[in-house]
Amino acid sequence: MSTDIKSIDPGTLKEIYRQMSRIREVDKGIQAGLSSGKFMFTYWPMTGQEAIPASIAPLISSEDHMVTIYRGIHDQVAKGVPLKGLFAEALGREGGVNKGKGGSPHISDPSSGSMLTTAIVGAGAPIANGLALAEKMRGTDKVTIVNFGDGATSIGAVHEAMNLAGVWKLPVIFMCQNNLIGEYTPIPEYTASKNFTDRAEALGFRGVRLNGNDPVEFHNGMKEIIDSVRSGNGPVFVEAMTLRLGPHAGVGWSHLLKGEELQEAKADWPVPATRQRLIDAGICTAEELDDIDSAAVAEVAEAIEWAMSSEVTGEDEMLLDVYGDPDTVPKRGQRVKRDAEPEYTGETKTMAMFEAVQDALDLSMQADENVYCLGEDIGDDPGGVFKCFKGMQSKWGERIRPTPIAEQAIIGAATGSALVGMRPVAEIMFADFVGVCMDQITNHAAKQRYMSGATTHVPMTVRMIAGGGIGGFGAQHSQSTEALLLHQPGLKIVYPSTPTEAKGLLMSCIFDDDPCIQMESMMLTYALKEEVPVGDYRIPLGVAKVKREGTDITLVTYGWQVMQCLQAAEELAKEGINAEVLDLRTLLPLDYDRILGSVEKTGRALVVHAAVEFCGLGSEIASTINEELFTKLKAPASRFGAAYAPIAYSKTIETAQVPNVASIVARVREMFK
Amino acid sequence: MSTSLTIPKLQMSSTEGTLAEWLVDDGANVEEGQPIYCLETDKSVQEIEAPAAGKLVHKQAAGETYPVGTEIGEIV
Repeated sequence: MSTDIKSIDPGTLKEIYRQMSRIREVDKGIQAGLSSGKFMFTYWPMTGQEAIPASIAPLISSEDHMVTIYRGIHDQVAKGVPLKGLFAEALGREGGVNKGKGGSPHISDPSSGSMLTTAIVGAGAPIANGLALAEKMRGTDKVTIVNFGDGATSIGAVHEAMNLAGVWKLPVIFMCQNNLIGEYTPIPEYTASKNFTDRAEALGFRGVRLNGNDPVEFHNGMKEIIDSVRSGNGPVFVEAMTLRLGPHAGVGWSHLLKGEELQEAKADWPVPATRQRLIDAGICTAEELDDIDSAAVAEVAEAIEWAMSSEVTGEDEMLLDVYGDPDTVPKRGQRVKRDAEPEYTGETKTMAMFEAVQDALDLSMQADENVYCLGEDIGDDPGGVFKCFKGMQSKWGERIRPTPIAEQAIIGAATGSALVGMRPVAEIMFADFVGVCMDQITNHAAKQRYMSGATTHVPMTVRMIAGGGIGGFGAQHSQSTEALLLHQPGLKIVYPSTPTEAKGLLMSCIFDDDPCIQMESMMLTYALKEEVPVGDYRIPLGVAKVKREGTDITLVTYGWQVMQCLQAAEELAKEGINAEVLDLRTLLPLDYDRILGSVEKTGRALVVHAAVEFCGLGSEIASTINEELFTKLKAPASRFGAAYAPIAYSKTIETAQVPNVASIVARVREMFK
Repeated sequence: MSTSLTIPKLQMSSTEGTLAEWLVDDGANVEEGQPIYCLETDKSVQEIEAPAAGKLVHKQAAGETYPVGTEIGEIV
């Protein structure tokens, strides 16, 4: 049953057909290349779903944002991603829109508004919120459309994103392309829901079901929806009913549509069906449509020829685009020299770490209107569970954004807004909760610069608090999670040990162009007060600092273990061992120059951290010292971290399982035996 | 311009494929999109369609398994 063709402007329908024809030819071009063996990459065909993006295309411009998934080539073609760069990217070539480093499942082309493509089901929705949030905060009328399949409705990220979009009334459209099957598993095997629109209604905003195979109905429905979202009426969830004619991955026709199902589905296939409707309605002659198809064939042939002539992206690109500055990549023994901050002689004020953090946030917001904060409970009252935001919402209004308890939504919103130049600062209450949003941090924020061939980057900062050391927080609020994050190329990580450094490092993170994580120890949040520089104050990333000079051994450490090591050094001094304490301050970029420089002087090194010793940063540093300074060492460098157990609730166990003054002293003594 | 036909890599796990059956005789003309041979992999049997129109030249026999990338025919 098709909507009356008279309800759409004939020229618009012709244009929609032109986009469908382009999509169809791209699909055919890829399948022909794959089945002949000329191309070798994994392809998730979208055959049958062409009408959805083609019908939307006339309603949006390159200024509007789009996020899609690995089965999203049709979305990209209709959004305007250049076909030469699209094919070259799928083939891993230099001419790809992302230098061949992302591939077809990770296309980003900001020039057309195709901002991000994810290969993680459902993960685009939280990021789309961020794009929409940035535009809402800037007061533009741009809309963001995030495409995903019906299978993605099962995943938590989509639910978190929909809830946040509803409560914040974000200008985002959740475009659920419902082809009735999630990869290989059909409805109703994976859900008992009768529809997906009710989920939006349950979260307080509109859910609309449209026939995604009828370009007339779909275009007209989307026109009203896009106008509404553009006007600031909040998000809409669209359930676009369609069918996937191809397999989950590969080429050819679906094996999952049995018997006559495939023939029936093909009869409803919008590409040939729309062609026939245009002829039947007298809008186009067959010859005019042949011309459209021929133009698409020629465009695709030219794009494939161009892409095949582009060089396969070479090894020289391997370490580029991990970070903005290639020197951030840790290379064993490569001693990058970075200048330390000049000695501060100006005005100071007494602050604890939580106050210094607030000062950094406040000054950063003053300095740049793109800076904003989001996190759980950061509004007044209470002004953040750690009091870092006390009074901030009253002062800054919407730039301080208390969120639902939904870490994926928080990190996704930060990531998406950072893609368009915002500088978000997110608070993840406890470092243990990073597990809840690991996908958003590691698969998206951290990898996006690389996957996009540096066409995009993510200048966001995430603060997280480690509760360990205090006692009584238990295994899920006490862990030191930095090693998890250090293993993720693309992130920068700082771990201050003083209020001044918390301020100086945080401001540097906020104005850095890569995703940064500041870990703050609750052992230091309130207990330690000192004179902190007033006004804009920044400490460069990747610069360690000697906190106690010594001659006999270097204790390399960071965070609250600096305090422990300084006390241990005083104990050791009584025994005639003069220890140098080197505070890393930044864990990545790692200051190998100052680490090796100090150990060259002392001849011995022990790396101390509160994180589990096994496979921790200490092992990496100790190994590097042993390899680089083998002939200069008086004893092998070693490492000392927490015992291999979750942090216990018992204070006695916790004290014993993490390095403490007595156990550090004992370890150093052993090294001098 | 001729189009080479090689055993395709259609699944991430594919390393080889069996040319189960030629559906078009050696030397016959094929239309673009016409099924030309059956490919059997560990997952399924699939009809592979001609990526271009022209005369099909068989270069390998049916019933054998070949590594991904092996040229099995050509459309000239």
